[in-house]
Amino acid sequence: MKWPLHSRPIPNSEIPLYNRYYLHAPKSSHVDSTLLMGTEINADPLLSFLHDRNRGGRVIITTAHALVRATAMALEKFPEMNVRVVGRRVYAFREISIRMAFFHRRNRDIDILLIKAANQKSLEQIGREVWERLLQAGRGEGARDRDLARMRRVPAFWFRQFMRIYAALDRNFALPAVSRLDELRGGSALVNDLSSSGVPPIRSYKPSRFPDDSDSLNLTLGPAENKVVARADGFESVRVMPLFVRADHRLTDAYQVGKFLAVVRDLLQNPQQLDVADSRASGDQ
Amino acid sequence: MTLDKSKLEDDILQFVGSRIPNHPELAKDTDLLEDSLLDSLLLMDLIFQIEDRYAIKFGSDQINPANFRTVSTIASLVLAQSNPQPA
Repeated sequence: MKWPLHSRPIPNSEIPLYNRYYLHAPKSSHVDSTLLMGTEINADPLLSFLHDRNRGGRVIITTAHALVRATAMALEKFPEMNVRVVGRRVYAFREISIRMAFFHRRNRDIDILLIKAANQKSLEQIGREVWERLLQAGRGEGARDRDLARMRRVPAFWFRQFMRIYAALDRNFALPAVSRLDELRGGSALVNDLSSSGVPPIRSYKPSRFPDDSDSLNLTLGPAENKVVARADGFESVRVMPLFVRADHRLTDAYQVGKFLAVVRDLLQNPQQLDVADSRASGDQ
Repeated sequence: MTLDKSKLEDDILQFVGSRIPNHPELAKDTDLLEDSLLDSLLLMDLIFQIEDRYAIKFGSDQINPANFRTVSTIASLVLAQSNPQPA
């Protein structure tokens, strides 16, 4: 049994007034606390960096791995964003763990994996962990896949009852993670790499939220496209990728989301920074 | 089962080519990583296609650039995997 959250909530006095305004808004106000912000990154440095890494590295590194690492590093700079709402209180996560959406080949479905303590792992470690999980999922041989298979067999009526009870408990009490299915609640941010999924250029994207309210942040990277940009000495064609962040006004505000997004963008545009702390990562072979 | 490398390369080339039809110039020595042709979805599909067809199993440590750079290196990996050298 693991407790993904610190045992004590963040004191009310430390929560900015405007966040409290949303936090304590009555349901009858139909308030929408979703914040959505999008930007573009210059994709050329990131794609070149990945090419370089994939010329001689020991693991194939993709944009998804870079996004996991960049998000974890940004959360390290903004620990006040590594939190979630439980009831009307705000709890901080114990670790900076990142959830990643992936296509579950065997189930023909989307699944989530959790990179625990992602800020302490190198790109290579993150890459290896992700490939391991993808192989496991494709073969349906992981313990989580057996749990998912059992869950799929639950009739709709009971599934709905379970979801209602579980989500209600999780929204209102700081629960421990007791199984392979709910351990995913151990991270505040979910990353979604749509850059290689065959989707067209994206202009806007609003990801949904987990029913239990446990994912406070979502970062989505879209596919690269060519764009002509003006430089001091003329025009130039560059590849750009859209980057979206969805946040919660009960926990943060647009000013802070903007600064957070700027850090993630800067890391992805200057991807050599993603390697900076690699030496700190433990167990790197 | 003895695998023929040339036949293996043809099989892999056909599979990869079917997934990226906009690259008719794809060849056995095309650099799949340098040309950004091998994304994670295609890589996983390719791995499981090979595993199913040739009854072998890859480990995550084998998902490295040297093994998946070209159709030819992938075929070599499959051969090595299906005919493991005695220790």
